[in-house]
Amino acid sequence: MVGVAFTVFLAGSFFRLISMWRLAKKKDGLIFSYISIFFALRSIVHWILPFAGVSMRKHPAMTIVAFLFHVCLFAVPIFLSAHVILFKESWDISWWRLPDMAAEIMSWSVIGSCLFFLGRRIFLPEVRYLTSLSDYLILAAVAVPFISGLWSYHQWAAFQVVMIVHIISGEIMLMIIPFTRLSHMLFFPFTRGYMGSEFGAVRHAKDW
Amino acid sequence: MTKRSVQNISTIPDEGIDKGAQRLTPDQVSRVIRRHLEEEGGARLKVYTETCVHCGLCSDACHFYLSHDHDPKFSPAGKVKQTLDKIIRKKGRVSIDFIKKTAEIAFTECNLCRRCVMYCPFGIDVAYLMLFLRRICHKLGVVPQYIQDTAHSHAATMNQMWVKDDEWIDTLHWQEDEARDEIPDLRIPLEKQGADIFYSVIGPEPKFRAQMIYQAAVIMNAAGMDWTMPATPGWDNSDMCMYTGDEEMVARLKKVHFETAMRLKTKRIVMGECGHAYRSVHDVGNRHLGWKMSPLPVMHAIEFYYELFKDRKLKVNQKYDAPVTLHDPCNVVRGGGLHEMARYVINETCSRFVEMHPNREHNYCCGAGGGVINCGPPYTNKRVVSNRVKADQLADAKARGAKTIIAPCHNCFGGLEDIVKHYGLGMEIKFLGDVIYECMDKE
Amino acid sequence: MTKQKHNFCLAIEFFRKISSMKQTKILFYSVFSILFLLVGAFAAFSQEDIETVNDSAFENQTRPPVVFFHDTHNENAAIEECNACHHMFEDGKRLDDDDSIGMECSECHCSKMKDSMADLIRVYHLQCGGCHLKQKTGPVMCGECHRKR
Ligand code: SF4
Ligand code: SF4
Repeated sequence: MVGVAFTVFLAGSFFRLISMWRLAKKKDGLIFSYISIFFALRSIVHWILPFAGVSMRKHPAMTIVAFLFHVCLFAVPIFLSAHVILFKESWDISWWRLPDMAAEIMSWSVIGSCLFFLGRRIFLPEVRYLTSLSDYLILAAVAVPFISGLWSYHQWAAFQVVMIVHIISGEIMLMIIPFTRLSHMLFFPFTRGYMGSEFGAVRHAKDW
Repeated sequence: MTKRSVQNISTIPDEGIDKGAQRLTPDQVSRVIRRHLEEEGGARLKVYTETCVHCGLCSDACHFYLSHDHDPKFSPAGKVKQTLDKIIRKKGRVSIDFIKKTAEIAFTECNLCRRCVMYCPFGIDVAYLMLFLRRICHKLGVVPQYIQDTAHSHAATMNQMWVKDDEWIDTLHWQEDEARDEIPDLRIPLEKQGADIFYSVIGPEPKFRAQMIYQAAVIMNAAGMDWTMPATPGWDNSDMCMYTGDEEMVARLKKVHFETAMRLKTKRIVMGECGHAYRSVHDVGNRHLGWKMSPLPVMHAIEFYYELFKDRKLKVNQKYDAPVTLHDPCNVVRGGGLHEMARYVINETCSRFVEMHPNREHNYCCGAGGGVINCGPPYTNKRVVSNRVKADQLADAKARGAKTIIAPCHNCFGGLEDIVKHYGLGMEIKFLGDVIYECMDKE
Repeated sequence: MTKQKHNFCLAIEFFRKISSMKQTKILFYSVFSILFLLVGAFAAFSQEDIETVNDSAFENQTRPPVVFFHDTHNENAAIEECNACHHMFEDGKRLDDDDSIGMECSECHCSKMKDSMADLIRVYHLQCGGCHLKQKTGPVMCGECHRKR
């Protein structure tokens, strides 16, 4: 199961990137001539540092939550001690492990961030207008593995069942990354990098 | 100071859109769109539409959204949602009324100013998507009448304003004559081979603002530049076809323009104070011709004036006295990075300078760019009402002392004029060239 | 839940502290002996002592210790040979007629390796969970063995 999830995720991501690459070669060939590594990185760096850009400074709460969310979203599944031990058991590889207390706080942060995003979708008119069912589903797909993970960690009621929910929902989240809006994870460096290149090398302007 | 009332803006009657739509059948619509998506919908379209996470962060970028009391229908992603998203989802099977609405949104509710690119974390280029829609509209023949007329003029005369070949030459002679009253040995060199500079202007200059050619000639003369203008089509650097989605025409226009420069064997093209023309010559047209950058150096007037002052080619008699503020035009600032040069020139020529906020790359669009002003009178009111935030920004600069707005772009000039009038701001608007002409030593 | 666990730990701490103080020692011992007798008497009627899997190598445990009823487990699982679990290896070969009773797993399994703790955890998990998986019976999820009390 885990193997399937990882394969779908990796192969899917690879497939998406390659097919997009080929489509770009075919229809948007100009992208390749305008990409400038320096300006691409300049833009990417400005967008992965919190508060480096005007847009981020305009929405401090969103910026803090979004960064916290993404950091925890990546760190917890990868460095959670229970996960590392599982990797150790199956493939005899291991790496640094998060203390459980930290992992717990970070998981709560992810859930809190999801609630924040949910709140934005419900209460901010400009976000509500853009939101469709799929956006709620994706938010749920991200939140469920964390809720169920905490649930089984604390061995609350029926945690055996919840553990199964945890495993399956985690795998689902991993598998849908390449095929849904979660693919912004894959394409972020390219869209931002391309715009950074156009703004930097052609238009001599900042894009943050 | 600024009027807060937002008129209810519903679909505005437009001959071009209405008549064009009447000729369509639903079958045609879906066929044309499907083919367009297949032929021209590439990786950018796919990635932009599929990775937008609907976070709404781009909203704050758009003056339409800000001016319409944060109405989400006017946010960049909101405009995409109403139009392109549905077109893609339905694979082009949309109604003719939907196409009319799409045309109105794509042509008159986005200035292609690219400010939203700087607010979207992913750098999703809504201007690109709106241009994609405009091209669909172009292929369907549903384009606002006024801007389509300029595109027709481009196609027929290679200039935007139906200026005939002899009218062009006449205008130059006329301006030369006028200028010689002031500076007896001034010339506007026509067809000079091997000059350093090919000075090109937009169609509206000979048509409505001939004195700008006069001023340019005086500046060239005083700076002792070796320059020329052509006596043939190709003198016009403007490009409304870029905004109607007529990309084939963009290529033709820029080809004539560059070839004219080549024929005259000039070393570079210096352009008058126009933003969209700069975008076309420096960024867009060259691409349609297969050039990564323009085939010979292209300079916007700001850059050129900067060079003149930097090299001490121009002297200022008396600095412009009224406090000025600068409107950073999208196409030369976000699209060319000329903001510091503009400030340098202002510093050389004006005694007092007040910044607008936001400024530089973050300045609000004038609301006229991207061909919106060229969509003509049916949309004037909508355009002005849709840029209340610009009026607020100007009013703020005024409150801090600014009396004159410098707008180094024809579109911005026109757009700001309408805004200043509508909101009763009582500020004067000038081109950078106007200011230089006023304070320079003309000998 | 965490709070309960906390209280529990604090109680133990408190207990230890008291027991180290001279004045209270005598009192403590007498109370303790009575308690011991009571518990012992109670235990005599219950089936078996509660045991937990323990290894001195686990200095700071991150999970609750595993509850393990040695005799019941082996009865249910019909394990006859001690070295079915308490195995002994020599030159990489399992010895059929030797066992490792009385040794801690860590004596062999936690030696020269880099991340020795992960390795030790791994062999424990494989030893218990691995067998449970193979036999298709017995707990395999984290919380099923590492029970919070
Ligand atoms: S390009 Fe400018 S006008 Fe168009 S949606 Fe973006 S911010 Fe608004
Ligand atoms: S900021 Fe970017 S990702 Fe967010 S809604 Fe706007 S276009 Fe989409």
